[in-house]
Amino acid sequence: MRWYLALLVSAFAAAVNALSSSGSRLLVVLDDTTDKSAYSILWSDLEGRGYDLSFESPKSDKLSLFEHGERAYDHLLILPPKSKGLGPNLTPKNILDFMNQDGNIILALSGKASTSSAISSLLLEVDIHLSNDRSAVVIDHFNYDTISAAEKHDVLLLERPAPLRPDVKAFFDGEGVLALPHVAPQTLGSNSQLISPILRAPATAYAYNPKEEMPSPDDIEATGSQLNVVSAVQALNSARFVVLGSVEALEDQWFSGSVKAPNGKKVPTVNREFAKQLTGWAFKETGILKVGKIEHHLATDGEVAAEDMNPKIYRVKNETVFNIEISEYSYDKWVPFEVPAEDELQLEFTMLSPFHRLALKPTVRTETSAVYSTQFTTPDQHGIFSFRVDYKRPFLTNIEEKHEVTVRHFAHDEYPRSWAITGGWVWIAGLWSVIGGFLAFVVVWLYSAPVADKVKKTQ
Amino acid sequence: MPAKRHAASTASAPAPSTTSTLSSGPATLKTNSSVLDITSHVWQQYLANTAQRTLLLDAFMAFLVLVGGLQFVYCVLAGNYPFNAFLSGFSAAVGQFVLTASLRMQTSEPGSGSPSKPSSKGKNARFADEDTEEDTGISHERAFADYIFGSLILHFFCINFIN
Repeated sequence: MRWYLALLVSAFAAAVNALSSSGSRLLVVLDDTTDKSAYSILWSDLEGRGYDLSFESPKSDKLSLFEHGERAYDHLLILPPKSKGLGPNLTPKNILDFMNQDGNIILALSGKASTSSAISSLLLEVDIHLSNDRSAVVIDHFNYDTISAAEKHDVLLLERPAPLRPDVKAFFDGEGVLALPHVAPQTLGSNSQLISPILRAPATAYAYNPKEEMPSPDDIEATGSQLNVVSAVQALNSARFVVLGSVEALEDQWFSGSVKAPNGKKVPTVNREFAKQLTGWAFKETGILKVGKIEHHLATDGEVAAEDMNPKIYRVKNETVFNIEISEYSYDKWVPFEVPAEDELQLEFTMLSPFHRLALKPTVRTETSAVYSTQFTTPDQHGIFSFRVDYKRPFLTNIEEKHEVTVRHFAHDEYPRSWAITGGWVWIAGLWSVIGGFLAFVVVWLYSAPVADKVKKTQ
Repeated sequence: MPAKRHAASTASAPAPSTTSTLSSGPATLKTNSSVLDITSHVWQQYLANTAQRTLLLDAFMAFLVLVGGLQFVYCVLAGNYPFNAFLSGFSAAVGQFVLTASLRMQTSEPGSGSPSKPSSKGKNARFADEDTEEDTGISHERAFADYIFGSLILHFFCINFIN
């Protein structure tokens, strides 16, 4: 409910300024002010999209994510500190509390220096793993920038990522080449449905610690596309957490620079566009779903009267129509949500377990929303049922709707009359012949002469 | 007190030495008669010794057996949908049969057909020359009224249930 309120408020605010769907207060945690100028294009881009940026050093005493128990900021961008750890105000617990209160986080790492153990333990909380010594760098001898890293091969040149799966919406795709210098690789835990890779290293990449010898083959944990350059976590409350392996990719020089792959042409980077996609997704400008009206009613030919809408009670074997209206937020406006081609929005009609699981098809499309509908016959089982829409997909906020209705059995007078069923005619004839026989018997009995009785009585 | 009544009936039976169950008819049946003869003899005895109303009751019960049997056979052959119609039609026949059988027990006494002879239903034989109404305490009119009342309730339920 609070989420909807926040949406309402922010939708109102969005009318004033193009803005994230969940607030504009962005805290940037960076080590010292000298760093700040290196990212000036990023800051101006973010401010241009309506964010109120605050800059704090992790060592600052004033730095607090909460004020009076509420979030003091809506979003958090953490650049890798040069010192060890993030200080006493940004412990992993504080950051997870921030996420539990619907705060969104981008955590940037760098392969230049080893990552602090505080960050490593924060990442462990969301099942993202860094390399053992936390100072590995991704190297690729086939996809590197020949201009800036001709010797070290540690500036990766990657295409922007295609959709993660065919049934997942693409939020980070597009033309062009990304330059990602000094990537700190991450590997993802295999048993969490909340984490998903945004950008993987190419198959020819590997990670190693430049300060040490090459490890023996037994010690290598992950290579190639097992290494993640950018990974994402979306918590159950739809709070977002993005780990960016290369903070330098956000610097001005890579926003406007040009790179040249081996055997390739010199091309400008698309880091700026990718940064917009990445921050836009992480700070809830894209991939936000909103459920509008939910309607269910009996299937009728004409218009449904208002009092027949969303009844509390249905009967078994009723033809029922269910509609759900869904909008998707796209940077500054609500647009109709379109389910990816290979995916399906499904309605479940459940009592303990689903009796129906049906695909919802788009029927009506308005300027800001799409209405998905299906029609079905309620099962031959009475009880308390619920209409459920449970749509949880990578990169999209969760939809979990549940609307309870009662399904009653047939009333006594709702069954078809017996003569309407031709199979019963024989028994109807049987019953009436018994009754007719009875009447005839009674008449004959009454008229049959009780001679013997009279004779006896006269005696 | 069936034992006592049985004793009384055997005591009052005039010809206990003839063929066991058919004591009342003319003794034309020989010990080596064919099955057909025995059957037709039994039938003749039944027609001759049964009161008219009892004959009527028996005819109606035979009709009910026929109707009930037909409905059951139809159910076996054609399936039991709609089941309530089958239950209603079949139980109407069965219930009517039971009620009719009760009426027959209350109204038929062998004295009405051939008052001097006891029938196989020995319990009534003792009262052959008395008024039957004093025997059971239920008059024929009362029994018949009960029968109509029970039948109407049965029909009401069956018609309601067949919908």
